[in-house]
Amino acid sequence: MATLPTPQQLIASRPAFPKENWMDIKPDFKPGSFCYPAQKQTMELLHMPNPHEWNPADEDWNLPENWEQILIDAFEERLKKHRSLKLFMDICVRCGACADKCHFFLGTNDPKNMPVMRAELLRSLYRKDHTMLGKILGKKVGARGWDKDVVKELFSYAYQCTECRRCSLYCPYGIDTAEITAIVRELLHEVGLGIHWIMDPVKNCNITGNHLGIKPHSFVEIVEMLADDCEEVCGIRPKTPFNEKGHEILFITPSGDVFADPGVYTFMGYLMLFHELGLDYTLSTYASEGGNFGSFTTFNMAKKLNAKMYAEAERLGSKWILGGECGHMWRVINQYMDTYNGPAPAHMMDVPTSPITGTQFTNAKSTKMVHITEFTADLIKHNKLKLDPSRNDHLITTFHDSCNPARGMGLLDEPRAVLKAVCNNFVEMPEKTIREHTFCCGAGSGLNTEEIMELRMRSGMPRGNALRYVQQKYGVNHMACVCAIDRATLPPLANYWAPGVSVSGVHELVANALVMTGEKKRTMDLRQEDLPNVDGGDE
Amino acid sequence: MTMLEVFREHKQNVCAAWVELVLSTYSLDTKGFLRTKNDPFLNPVGDITRLCAGCLYDAMAGEDIDAAKLKDALERLVKLRAVQVFTASEALGIFYAFKSVVRSTLLPLMEKSGLTAAYLEAESRIDTLALMAFDMYAKDREVVLENRVNEIKNQHAQLLRWAQTVDGSPVGGSGKTKL
Repeated sequence: MATLPTPQQLIASRPAFPKENWMDIKPDFKPGSFCYPAQKQTMELLHMPNPHEWNPADEDWNLPENWEQILIDAFEERLKKHRSLKLFMDICVRCGACADKCHFFLGTNDPKNMPVMRAELLRSLYRKDHTMLGKILGKKVGARGWDKDVVKELFSYAYQCTECRRCSLYCPYGIDTAEITAIVRELLHEVGLGIHWIMDPVKNCNITGNHLGIKPHSFVEIVEMLADDCEEVCGIRPKTPFNEKGHEILFITPSGDVFADPGVYTFMGYLMLFHELGLDYTLSTYASEGGNFGSFTTFNMAKKLNAKMYAEAERLGSKWILGGECGHMWRVINQYMDTYNGPAPAHMMDVPTSPITGTQFTNAKSTKMVHITEFTADLIKHNKLKLDPSRNDHLITTFHDSCNPARGMGLLDEPRAVLKAVCNNFVEMPEKTIREHTFCCGAGSGLNTEEIMELRMRSGMPRGNALRYVQQKYGVNHMACVCAIDRATLPPLANYWAPGVSVSGVHELVANALVMTGEKKRTMDLRQEDLPNVDGGDE
Repeated sequence: MTMLEVFREHKQNVCAAWVELVLSTYSLDTKGFLRTKNDPFLNPVGDITRLCAGCLYDAMAGEDIDAAKLKDALERLVKLRAVQVFTASEALGIFYAFKSVVRSTLLPLMEKSGLTAAYLEAESRIDTLALMAFDMYAKDREVVLENRVNEIKNQHAQLLRWAQTVDGSPVGGSGKTKL
């Protein structure tokens, strides 16, 4: 008779001490833990190197014949090009300050998700080819050569990093592990390895201007539909100017806000705010995507997709650009746009200036792009908006600092100033989980795809845990954020870790509270749900 | 000594042994961190496990416990393990392993004090807790799948609404995501 294992034997996933060196542990590709691969046709259309059919779950990834040389050369080229990369490869002393700061590590408890270890995957290859000790002593000094399992390992962990940079905040040397992840993804693209949810939006943005590939006329019609919804709510149909020349401001926001729930309500908020202000602005169908999925693939692709912002501002003669609530769009703007596609067109205003308050946004002097929460916070500070925050009284709101605006551009106080003006009930999450210490939603940098929902729930656990805490302690039932990817990824995260908490952009709440000139009595919020605190609404 | 007194006396070491066992289901390189850092937000896995251990033990021992608190503690640990890389048996086997830890520590003592029958009753309560965990696990897995379906719907919500208007039909109701 066979002997059944004990519960201890069943749950023991490992021996007390591992028999193998970390280098010998192969990555495991279980469904739910990897993203679908990019289609060959998509890669061909984008002229990406070595497009081919492959599947992460297969043993053979059909790498090109000379894959090893391609990777060695590509790595060397990048080491020469980016001095920062070479520095990051050399300078780490393995102090471990970053080790427990990663939401992927905290959620998966996989040691290779410690940022130091994730970087070590590449650093070990660097040692082998680029350091004397590594060349001579190999594995004894943590050096290893390329092999196909190493490629798989790099793929597995480069797509278990959302490039949120929380680890960088704690690194005493300032090593930016997000940049290392970005380089690893670039290297993988050299041998034709990319993921569908990044490359498909890249293709669509490249061809039609927005991530779902909606044609310009349809894009306009959807925005018109949202303007109709605004009229339903407030009795005023906001203007929807598209592709009009000669306006002072070009407004660019992620296209997710036009297509996806609950982002659309944030977009409706923008339309209503601009209408009330009588803002001299236009939208664009060409620059209809603020988000830059290219930044999750290669620097060149990011540059290409970013170029349309200045090109459109030039074509339409706009004096400055107002940018919507987005995450990585702002990282690209603040960190890279000047170098990629700058300087801004000569006709643009020297310093973007609010036409309503006269405030000069000197921080945007170089890029000519102002974040909408800076713009709105300034309006509120100067009492330019009539607000009735009691309309949001049924909400107890907290604020999720989106990684890129928080750590990539230091946008910490403006969204809070706006939220506090439009909501009477605002509660912060615990100190170590907000502002520059914020935990990622777990699905940024192109990982907001449904096939890895299980992985996203793991990586979003630290954020979910903090949210659950304020939900239980203070009755928080709403979380606002300033990122379109967050608006897509936080609802499932909240549904899992803190059910009952809804998610919105900041400007949805602004428009709910905004008292517009000539509006009808508000009985509904932007989602066309009855406002409980208004006569005529639900009790 | 009454049964409760025996249980109370050994709470700390049984809980510590079980926490050790649960943390051993993670990689050795991770375990040290999980074991040593005590912060509910900076080491959620360690915190959730330790918290659950205390609640589980009290429930098993027959203490007068707050049902909501027990449910919450159990739910958090199950939620966590339901999405980590575990099979269902690895995720929930920890509750059966709890029984083994309790048995090896306490059964000889209980037998000595003539409390075997009462002990067996307490042990059966672990089965109840494991069954509760099983329901929670099943629900959590369903939520993950529900999230996948909802996300696909939400991503294209307005597109679908727009598509329905293309033949000239009036615009349908707006997305009704409840705020």
